[in-house]
Amino acid sequence: MATKKDYLLIVLHILSWIIFVGLLVEAGGFLFNTLYTLLYNPAGAANFWMKSDLSGLYSFNQSHFVTLTVIMVIASVLKAIMFYVIVKLFHDKKLDLTAPFNESFGRGLYNLSYLTAGISLFTYWGTKLSASLTEQGVSLPSLQELRLAGPDVWLFMCVALLVFARIFKKGITIQHENQLTI
Amino acid sequence: MPIIVNLDVMMAKRKMSLNELSDKVGLTLANLSILKTGKAKAIRFSTLETICKVLHCQPADILEYVAEEEG
Repeated sequence: MATKKDYLLIVLHILSWIIFVGLLVEAGGFLFNTLYTLLYNPAGAANFWMKSDLSGLYSFNQSHFVTLTVIMVIASVLKAIMFYVIVKLFHDKKLDLTAPFNESFGRGLYNLSYLTAGISLFTYWGTKLSASLTEQGVSLPSLQELRLAGPDVWLFMCVALLVFARIFKKGITIQHENQLTI
Repeated sequence: MPIIVNLDVMMAKRKMSLNELSDKVGLTLANLSILKTGKAKAIRFSTLETICKVLHCQPADILEYVAEEEG
């Protein structure tokens, strides 16, 4: 049973690394494409990250283009930081299964919930901006392609993580008292 | 905490060292030290029983309640 649990943790560790690297590449891609389009070649908007076409938005209004791409960059950077926190928890060996309720892990859970709140806020802003631009007749790729979908899901996740973090904090106190019971 | 642990007083009365008590009670030195310095959050009845048996004393000889001053 213990071997199976360790195996699962190793798989999750590797998966977290892959997702973290993927999100990092995505955030870098958004940032590079934005800067490339603004500073070097406006045609870059037509062939944005993963072939998304933002040329309509770019020709409609450059400041709206900057706003939307900055929101995309911030959301993807926050997602990358979120997985950095997870990878760090694995990497720093803070996940001690003999005494799992430790301070650093509890802090990590709180950080994850704050990060999901931030992602929810920026994706919500991006969703609203995208909807408003579409209403004005600007052709935009779908929210999935812009990586701005599901702000409500991120909010639910934030609340769920906050609840877990709160319960975890209680667990830390109980474990601490248990360790100091002679 | 208003509960004072007088383990060191009883140990001195019985002329028993921490090492000797640790051997007789079966607790680690680290845990006995936590108990002696008042850092412990709780004590098991079984631990209290063994300590009382080894030191030939009552629980009240080891634990004392001192009301905290308000303000």
